[in-house]
Parts: sequence; C-alpha cells; structure tokens
Amino acid sequence: MAQHTVDQAPVPAPLGAGAPRPGSVPEPPGRLRRVLRSVTPGPTADAGGAALYRRWWLPWLWMLPAIVGTTVFGVFPFLNTILVSFTDAKPLGGAYNLVGLDNYTRMLGDSDFWLATRNSVLYALIVVPLMVLLPLLLAVLVEKNLPGIGFFRSAFYTPVLASSVVVGLSWQWLLSDQGLVNTWLEKAHLIRGAIPFLSDSWLILLSAMGLTLWKGLGWYMIFYLAALGNVPRELHEAAAVDGAGAVRRFWHVTVPGVRTSMMLVGTLTGIGSLRVFTEIYMLGGATGGPGGADRTLPFYIRDVGLDPLTGNAGYGAAVSVALFALTLGLTLLAQRLTKEDEA
Amino acid sequence: MRASRLPGSLACFLALALAAAGCGLSGGSDDGEATAGGCKVDKANVGSGALTGDVKGDITFQTTNLKKDFGDYFNGVIAAFEKEHPGTEVKWIDDPGDATFTQRLVADAQGCTLPDVVNINVNTAIALTKNGYLIDLDKKAPDAGEPFVPALWKSSLYADASGTKVHSVLPWYSGGIVQTYNTELMKKAGLDPAKPPTTVLGLFADAEKVAKASGGKYHAFLANPHLRIPADWQQMGIKVFSADGKSFTFADDPRTVQWVEAMTKLYKAGGMPRDSLSSTQDPANVYGQGKLVYGPTNPNFLRFIQQNNPTVYKKTGVARFMLDDLGHTVGAPQYIGTASTSKNAVTALAFARFLTNAKNQLEWAKDPNVVIFPSTTASLDDPFFQSVKGTDPFAEARKIVASDRKTATADEIALTPGELNAISAQIQLAMQGKKSAEDALKDAQAKGNELIEQGS
Repeated sequence: MAQHTVDQAPVPAPLGAGAPRPGSVPEPPGRLRRVLRSVTPGPTADAGGAALYRRWWLPWLWMLPAIVGTTVFGVFPFLNTILVSFTDAKPLGGAYNLVGLDNYTRMLGDSDFWLATRNSVLYALIVVPLMVLLPLLLAVLVEKNLPGIGFFRSAFYTPVLASSVVVGLSWQWLLSDQGLVNTWLEKAHLIRGAIPFLSDSWLILLSAMGLTLWKGLGWYMIFYLAALGNVPRELHEAAAVDGAGAVRRFWHVTVPGVRTSMMLVGTLTGIGSLRVFTEIYMLGGATGGPGGADRTLPFYIRDVGLDPLTGNAGYGAAVSVALFALTLGLTLLAQRLTKEDEA
Repeated sequence: MRASRLPGSLACFLALALAAAGCGLSGGSDDGEATAGGCKVDKANVGSGALTGDVKGDITFQTTNLKKDFGDYFNGVIAAFEKEHPGTEVKWIDDPGDATFTQRLVADAQGCTLPDVVNINVNTAIALTKNGYLIDLDKKAPDAGEPFVPALWKSSLYADASGTKVHSVLPWYSGGIVQTYNTELMKKAGLDPAKPPTTVLGLFADAEKVAKASGGKYHAFLANPHLRIPADWQQMGIKVFSADGKSFTFADDPRTVQWVEAMTKLYKAGGMPRDSLSSTQDPANVYGQGKLVYGPTNPNFLRFIQQNNPTVYKKTGVARFMLDDLGHTVGAPQYIGTASTSKNAVTALAFARFLTNAKNQLEWAKDPNVVIFPSTTASLDDPFFQSVKGTDPFAEARKIVASDRKTATADEIALTPGELNAISAQIQLAMQGKKSAEDALKDAQAKGNELIEQGS
C-alpha cells in the first residue's frame, strides 16, 4: 500500500490508470521514482496535454462540496448519534458521561418503545404493499393519451405538492365528528352516530395511513408512468393476440415490466413509513392519539429526546439507532425476499 | 492505483468525523473554575458580592419576534439607555421566534454566546437557571426586585444547580388570565352569565348543564386534558410536585381523582366535542365559530375574537378567573435574563433593569396594539389601568386583570412537553373509560416521575 500514498503520486494520469501504459517504460518504485519525477516531466503519453494540469486530487476537488456536505450533515451526525447513544447527554448540561448500554437497557424495558415500534412496523406492513400497487393502477389508468387526461394526471399529483400540515388540517375537517365524511354517511343513512375517526386509536392510525397513501399516490404514479413507457408494446399486443384479457395482461406483462420500479417504490415507501410523524400529529394530536396509543418511533423519539431544553439526548439517540437498525433490517429483508423470489 | 485511494480517503473522513464527534464527549471543566454548561464564566459574575463597575461598552439584547410591530418602541428604549449611559451600545437582535427558536437559544448557550440580555419564557428560565447560564440576582443585584409587584417578585424563583431557589430573571410583561364565555349560549343552557363559576369543579357542574341542554350543537369546552393541566389542579390547591420538585404528587390528592372523574363524566355526557380528546384544535377558533360556551383564558384572545368574529365578540362575557382554593391566579410573565457568560455583565444588568423599569413598561403597555400587563407596582397604579373606561369585553378584561396582577404570583407550574404529554395521555384513557381515574392518575404519576428521573 505504501506506494499508493498521497505524496508519492504527484504525476498526472487518467483516473483508474493502474498499470503502466503500453509503450511507457516501467518506473522504479519508491523514493527513486520520486526523485526522478522531480527532475523530469511527466510520462510522455500525457505530456503537454490538458492532463498535465490534471492532478490526482482534481476529481476530489469537484466532489469536495458534496463530500463536505455529506460529512457535515450526514456522516458526522450519524456517528455522533451513535456515540451520544452511549452517554447521558442533555441539551444544556455541558459535560456528559459514558453510561454504557444503560440507554439501550431502558429502551428495551420500556413498553412505550415497543408500542411505538409495533405502530411503525404495522404502518410499513400496511402502507408499503398498497403504495406499491395503487399508484401502478393509477398510472395504468392515466397512461393513455386521452383528451383531458392531463387534468387527471395533475389532479392526482396535487396532494404531493400540498404541505403535510395543510393536508393534515383538511383531513381533520374531513374526518371530524361533524366533518364531511361523517355528514355524508349519516345523510346516506349508512351510519347512525358519527364514526370516531379522530378519537379511536385504531381509526386514527388507519386514517393516518390513508393520509400517507393519498399524499404519496401521485408521486409514485409518476415513477410508474416513466416505467410503463419502457414496457414493450409488442408484448401487450402478443398477449392480446394470444387471448389474454386486460387483467391477465396487467399481471403478466405490465407487472413484470415495471418490477424494478416496484422494488424501488417498495424500498422508498418502506423507509418513508418508518419515519411517519406529521400524519399522526395532525390527526392524533400532541400525545399521539388518546393515551399515546398511536405514537410511532419518530414520535417517541421526539417525546423523549428532542425537547430543546429538557430532552434526554442520549436516550433519544439510542432509540434513533434502533430506528436505523429497524429500517436497515427491513430493507435488507425485503431485498432478500425479492431476490429469492427471482431465483 | 488511484481507485485504491478511495478506502484510504474514506477511512480518513471517518476518522476525522469520529474525532470531531468525540470532541463533544470531553466537554466541561473540572478545574474548579466557574462554569455554565461547558462555558467558562467570568469570576465577577458568580459568587457573593454585588456587581460593580462602570456602565459602558457593548452588549447584545435579544427579543423574540417583536421588531416588526414594536421596532420604534425598542429603538426608543435603547436610545434612551445609550443617552443615559454614554459610551454604551446595545445591539438589538430580534429572533423570528419560530418553532426552532428554543433550539437556537440552546445552541447559543452551549456555544457560550448567549445574548447578554435575553427575553425568555418560564421553561427556558428554568432550564437556564438550573444550568447556571443566568446571573444570580440575589447575589449580584440584591435590590433588583424593588420595582416589581411583591407577590410576583417573591414567586419568580427558580432552582439553580444546587437546587436552591434563586432570582435569576426580572419579571417583564404578562398577558393575564380571565374567564371568557359566550353569554348567549350560557343563557340557552340555563346558566346565568352574571354568576360565572368561582371554582374549577363549579365550572364542571355548570358544564354538565351545557351538556344536557346543547344536544351536541355546542359544547362547554374542548376535551383535550392538555389544555387544562396543570393549571386546573394548581388552582384547586392540589400539590402537583413534591416540595423539592423531584417527584410528582398530584395522584396522591383525592381531589385530582374528582377532577378526572368530572372530566370523564362531562366527556361521556357530550359536554365536550368527542373528537377533541387528543386533537390539536385551537379553542380560540372553535369558540370563534360560536360552538363553545367557555373561551380561552388569555385576554389577548379577546382581540383575536374582536378582529375575526365580531358577532361572537359582542356576546362574550368576561369575569375574574376561578380563584378556587389557591385564592389568587398564577401565570409566569415573560422574563428578562442576564447571561452569566456575559463579558460585560454590569452594562447588561443595567440595561435589563432599565428595560423592565416602571416607565418603560407602562409606555409599552399603552401601545394600542398590545394587551399586556406590566410587572411593576408603579405602572399598574397608573390611571391607564386604574380608571378604565368602557364596558366592552376588552375594557372589562383590562380592569379585572389590572387588579388581579397585584395578587397574582409567577409560580405557575411549568411541565416539560414530555411530562405534559405523558400525563395527558393517561387522563385521555380514563376519559375514554379504558382506565379508572385512580389507575390513570397512578400511571400518569409513575410515567411523570420516570421522566423526571431520566431527565426527559
């Protein structure tokens, strides 16, 4: 590895040029090479060209802003969170101490943590399959170039653009006891008393899932619209000639054709649904539903660790690490299952 | 060859990031010097002996979202101070006061750059005092309390690092507290607007009449217990905390059980909107729609109603807040703190006292754009508060609060958001009938105590 270190390679060469170029003379290694290079110009193949000015660090320079950004806002906070999870850090406390696995022990013994984990996992298990399938159906629906179809595409996309808070407020009005949904159902004589969408903890959780789905449909519809364009038309025609109906063609031509996109959507929505906070807050309030029964992991993290004055940063970090592990675990599991499926 | 640099470089980055992350672990100082968090503190700012020295040099002064509406007033106060003390310069910072305001303030404190003079609320005052970020006025300015209403000053005490209660902040303005109600709906429910309740449980008794008469068309108030605790309990004279403040005691008082049972009964009877049990609905909005009998208790809310729902405003009655067992109202004012990390504490303290003096407070309270009440005895004695003209809800509120301020104390119990959520959650379960009042309170107290112990 020694010859790879920074100070020994001051000579311009294209990236990835590991072996000596054909025709160039192999150079002596180590110190001698450095001495030689200090008195002779670079390898003849590159001499005089723009490559003369191309230093090894040039690509790094171009990447520097991104690397600095990622390090400062991604890598550093991530590592810091892991470190903090082993401490008793408080926002204003100054010095803090290592407490070993205390935070993790507290976490595993806390029934609220497990309830939040259950809610988050449930959220993912229900939302992900629907979010993979429904936008595909929607995309198939608006794919054809019919007159006025642009209006529908835009309409389906609108919820994506609205802020979560505004959407949350609208849903509050829709689902309240005297809201639109209950009023309509009562007028249609389908129900007698209002359905407690906003005061029953299960209904709050399901309504929040509905909100997530409704807000995400348009976004993933766009993904699928792009993917659908790549499904060869001939396949559809061939299947039709063989007598396959619309449903059959959907399952046997369209779905296999957009399979990669489905995996992507599955992964993205999986990560997204483990991060749900706003939906629960808007429909379930500051406690996360009556009795805190609808709290998700991010909600729980906010409650225990994020208060700027009194939050227990150490414990909050430990739960964050658990959330990270859960996200990673579920993603890897999903990938593995898909691979087995393919094999 | 070049590609193989990647792992090496990545390793470097990781090492650097880890080292940077690790730096946080070695904060603090154990060498006997005065510190606040990880910050060194000027020796003159701590210990016994009043602060002395010339009032000169530069200081920073931070308010929260006041520049837009009151820029002229503050610039005037600053100019007057600088004129009175030549050689001083006050740099005024106005934080927008959005959702991340407290985080920024904490970051300033951690970075040892807390503004010299800073406007804070009660929760921030508690946290900053506990961690030594504010100057102890009992030691550094023993006469600082003179201009303030005695009841208010005596109760503006917060625990320092050792648990001793100290004066670390100067009381500034407050909003006051009154009862507001829709007189028309009250009459409909068979209640006399001239006889508003005087106790918390009396309010619940009246509210039950509302539940019976309304048929679900209007309600007494919103259900979320979040909106009523710990204020209701404190007014009832229930000891929410133990004397040392290190554990909750509310569940040990049978009156708290009564309160939860009253909430549950009212909720089941339809005296509160069912879907407001845990919701984020703003009572001011629902009251403004004419759907609530009892409105929010903040006089500033009357201005909101006056501007947004003039018809409801005209029907609004105002009365003294239920004094109940406590006998007076509580409500922490806005505070002005002087940073212990200040490099120019003499000037900072002088400005803090100048800003909160009777003259300057009165001048601001007279601004027609605010509904605020000063903390100084002299300003409350001014005819502006003593001989209020008019009988509209607004004038009534001003009369009531101005007289109330003379006895009101600042020892409002401030729960952390985590504590408030944990306790509210259990009471919600009781209101839904999923737990008995006793069990819910016991669990609420246990969860609250756990949060105190764990520090979150």
